[in-house]
Amino acid sequence: MANKKKIITFVFGLLLIVFLLNVFQKEVRGFFYWFSSPIQKVLWRIGDKSAGFFKSIVSADNLKKENSELKQKNQKLLAEIVKLKELEKENNILREALGAGLQKEFNLILTEIISKDVSQDYILIDKGFKEGILENKPVINQENVLVGRISDVYNNFSKVILISNKKVSFDTKIYAEGKPAESEQEEDISGLASGQGGSKISFGFVPREKNLTQGDIVITSVLGGIFPKGLLVGTIGKIEKSDLEPFQEAEIQPFFDIKSSTFLFIVSDF
Amino acid sequence: MKKILIPIVIFYFLVLAQTSFLVHFSILGVVPNISLILAVFWNFIEKTKNYFGLYNAFLVGFFLDVFSQRFFGFYILGLLAMAIFLKFIIRKYVQIPFVEKN
Repeated sequence: MANKKKIITFVFGLLLIVFLLNVFQKEVRGFFYWFSSPIQKVLWRIGDKSAGFFKSIVSADNLKKENSELKQKNQKLLAEIVKLKELEKENNILREALGAGLQKEFNLILTEIISKDVSQDYILIDKGFKEGILENKPVINQENVLVGRISDVYNNFSKVILISNKKVSFDTKIYAEGKPAESEQEEDISGLASGQGGSKISFGFVPREKNLTQGDIVITSVLGGIFPKGLLVGTIGKIEKSDLEPFQEAEIQPFFDIKSSTFLFIVSDF
Repeated sequence: MKKILIPIVIFYFLVLAQTSFLVHFSILGVVPNISLILAVFWNFIEKTKNYFGLYNAFLVGFFLDVFSQRFFGFYILGLLAMAIFLKFIIRKYVQIPFVEKN
């Protein structure tokens, strides 16, 4: 009988603790994030550096091959830059002629990654409500690659839901290499990018007749309104096409790699 | 007192390392959850009449809940349930040579 009473008290006490923790979760989590962030920042940097070191040892064999491939790609990109600079000049002249102003640049807030959720695609960053961070603001890296959006804001910290999280989906389109898709109406391929968890993203709702190829670059489109247009998402990987299905689906290999990032930017205005 | 405080410090730093350091070292895309493995292992080798493993399971669950996006209690209740289940199974059906039953 006394044993039964003990068990009931234990279960009741446990449920009460869990209930109270959920009621005061912002305060509890905020306190622990504040208390732990200096240690976590150091741990993240050490992890980032040592992982890079080990990776370079493991992949030493492939370096030569990768180097020659990159040289070729670099030359191709240089040619593209020259072409784009010409287009920019032409664009500016046309803007002046039409009296249209340049597109407003993003307002960016620099932030540092503190930790990553152990089981889900979330990260914790060191900017919060005090720095004017609001929910749903996009988060990008220095290469204009989309990382995610703010999901929860604490006083000094924010949680970022990564675009690979299962809860995230947004409108994207294919960027035709060398020229933006907008210039070729017929080749404009739009689709819905959906997080699959574990750093995986899928590209769906693409009509079967559209010519999707591996290596195509996926960028955000203006349709969704959640993210600014033209942010890099990833490249098309394996494509699944069936004659029975009206739509084709593909994997997106994301450009972002949380493991090798330390600093990110919050787009506060776009 | 030491028995209560030392696991708090150990598991706190283990969960910090899990979320900020070990994230960079995935094996086939998976990062082993060291603190969780340790909590399970403790309950596995502990004498079934001892309940210190339950306290450890609660601590690991609490810290994992703090640093995760799930609701509070997901890991606490999950790990405690696992610990109780493990103790029950070992007491009833398992004989491990180096672990005393009572």
